[in-house]
Amino acid sequence: MTVRPSTRFRQALIVLGLGLLVLVGIAAAPSAEAAPAVLPRAQDQPSNDYCIGCHAQQGLSRPLDDGSVLPLTINGERFRESVHGEEDVACVDCHTGIDAFPHPAFSAESRRAVTLDLYTSCKDCHSEQYNNVLDSVHQKALAGGNSNAAVCTDCHNPHEQRRLTDRQSGALLPEARLGIPQTCARCHSAIYATYKGSVHGAALTGQGNPDVPTCINCHGVHNIQNPTTARFRNETPQLCAKCHTDPALMSKYGITTEVLNTYVADFHGTTVTLFEQVSPDTPTNKPVCTDCHGVHNISLVDDPATGIAIKENLLVRCQRCHPTETGENFTDAWMSHYVASPSRFPLVYYVNLFYRIFIPAVIGGMLVFVVSDIVRRRLEARKGRAH
Amino acid sequence: MSQRTPAAPQAQRYTRFNLAARVQHVVMLVSFTTLGVTGLVQKFALSTISVFTVRVWGGIENLRATHHLAATVLMLVVIYHLLEIGYKAFVLRTRLTMLPRFQDAKDAWKALAYNLGLGKSRAQMGRYSFEEKAEYWALVWGIVIMGLTGFMMWNPLSTINLLPGEFIPAAKAAHGAEAILAVLAIVVWHMYAVHLKGFNKSMWTGHLTAEEMLHEHPLELADIKAGVAGQTPSPVAVRRRRLIYYPVAGAASIVLLFAVYGFVRGEETAITTVPPQLATVPVFVPQTPTPLPPTTTPLPSPTSAAASEATIGGAASSSWAEVGPIFAGRCIVCHGAALASSGLALDTFDGALKGGQSGSVIVAGEPAASKLIVMQSSGGHPGRLSAEELSIVSAWIEAGALEK
Repeated sequence: MTVRPSTRFRQALIVLGLGLLVLVGIAAAPSAEAAPAVLPRAQDQPSNDYCIGCHAQQGLSRPLDDGSVLPLTINGERFRESVHGEEDVACVDCHTGIDAFPHPAFSAESRRAVTLDLYTSCKDCHSEQYNNVLDSVHQKALAGGNSNAAVCTDCHNPHEQRRLTDRQSGALLPEARLGIPQTCARCHSAIYATYKGSVHGAALTGQGNPDVPTCINCHGVHNIQNPTTARFRNETPQLCAKCHTDPALMSKYGITTEVLNTYVADFHGTTVTLFEQVSPDTPTNKPVCTDCHGVHNISLVDDPATGIAIKENLLVRCQRCHPTETGENFTDAWMSHYVASPSRFPLVYYVNLFYRIFIPAVIGGMLVFVVSDIVRRRLEARKGRAH
Repeated sequence: MSQRTPAAPQAQRYTRFNLAARVQHVVMLVSFTTLGVTGLVQKFALSTISVFTVRVWGGIENLRATHHLAATVLMLVVIYHLLEIGYKAFVLRTRLTMLPRFQDAKDAWKALAYNLGLGKSRAQMGRYSFEEKAEYWALVWGIVIMGLTGFMMWNPLSTINLLPGEFIPAAKAAHGAEAILAVLAIVVWHMYAVHLKGFNKSMWTGHLTAEEMLHEHPLELADIKAGVAGQTPSPVAVRRRRLIYYPVAGAASIVLLFAVYGFVRGEETAITTVPPQLATVPVFVPQTPTPLPPTTTPLPSPTSAAASEATIGGAASSSWAEVGPIFAGRCIVCHGAALASSGLALDTFDGALKGGQSGSVIVAGEPAASKLIVMQSSGGHPGRLSAEELSIVSAWIEAGALEK
């Protein structure tokens, strides 16, 4: 029997074709892996691994219009340890314009311009903090044209920021407190240097004491207000009093909690308190806490060099407003927050004691007459009616 | 019901307070009340009522000014009163019926004993009852204390020239405590005796009826009827004594008015100290900026960018000045000198022509043979040039891939 050559040829072609298809399939598979046309993505947006795949490379950067260089390297490990990494925030949640590679065309005047362009995406998740910032002195400076004014990412590096507050309570973590002054110091290093030398700053930076105020206890966190206004100055006594009238906190250090009462009881404090209550925006020349104790350089009152428990040091402070006064009598007219006692300010103590006895005695005596007279007249009136 | 015989004759009225006394009372009433309100507000500065009052008053400075004004008015009333007493005592030789006597203590005891049911009858009062004397002398005491301590607070620097500094807070303590005593005394003693026990209007009308006199001041009424009270000295004697009294009183009033002026205007320390000298702090002192990751990416200079624009506009054939910026914008993040992925650095002309690890990517004059064009056309590369950019680069290669 004879097989027609044409049929055999056709069969051979089919076998060959099938074989080729398999070969192509085998060949195509590894090549697709080597040069992935479709990169791994989480759902419809690129995963962080996709982004970090390129951006983990050291030296990744691009030049900007002003000649500076924008670094584009992200430390993936640190990002994963950051609060954003913990919470699985995606790169593209913030870098919203980018959803794939290649990236859309990008140009920026400077690194600052990049920051100012990108930080507004913080509000998508942190709207409360973002809105607070809108009222802040930093935002006002920024709106006034000062591009150095701090925005979100100047204080919180979004790629590396660790958790600052307790997840449940929202309270600031003790270890986070310790880092706050260093954060502010990035722009306010001169003030930080002063603060470090103060009684508060030394305790924080030297001993890691979380009880002392950091920058934000006085200035606020996101809605930081201009501290040079009359209002801020008038509110200072209440600000300091938040800690200094707290018995639990003060008893740890043996500090009196009478500082506010004794201040308010004196001329200066009475005036300032009423200003604060009635016309907080009106400046007054009466001193607040910081005028005598200092602002960022607050020292222990018995510090030999600057402490104002030492009369010579106090007089220097007094003379800033009362330049002609020199005598010891002048500083003695201020009771230095002491509550009068037989040993300290005895005259004041005995005046108070006298009136504590004299007023009840006089008024009590008057009441004896008045009440007995009322009773007697009532009785007489009743007797008169009975007759 | 009433056993009292009605219809006391309207004409039977006895002058109790002349016009001068009534005017003094009104002025003192106003200044005392003003001092009490504006002073206690300062003593209890943190209370809600105080804050409200200060707001109504237009601020603490206004309130203090009012307090000082009222104090000045009260001092002037006191001076007038002293001159008047001097006139009555020296010129008219009136009996000084306000002076305390031992009889007053006996009256007080008798009144109390009667109230407590220990006595048979009420005490009989003369022109001024022991209650009225107590109030008058309490006021004298109060004015002396308030005047002295007020002076110390108003003129602290003069005070500490003579006395230890502690006197200033002590004066403040006494001033405040005395104020409470004075206000309470007025509320308890004066309000009861004159308003609640029966409204005694004589300080406003100037007189009491015969019946009221009989009730309140029977001994005075008896004196009047006996002709003992109200004896007027002879006009000759009055005229003679006036000649002596007026110059003395005039001199005394000038001295006293000067004293008041010194009291009021002597010092303004408490009000006008120099403005606070706020420390100037260098606010923006940035730390050395965080070092950037090391990079050797050359920076495009503005001049070359300007030149490239000129070339694009002017020449028909393309050059590196035209394609360089395309590579800079699209490629050099990976294929720059810093990273040089696959050994390829497209940030310089030389680097571009040199190619990468697998050879050259640009074959001058032959775009179809250039790996750069092939890779970009096939779509196998992660970064993609746009079709327009690709055609510019392709045209540049076709024209010989020249630097200039």
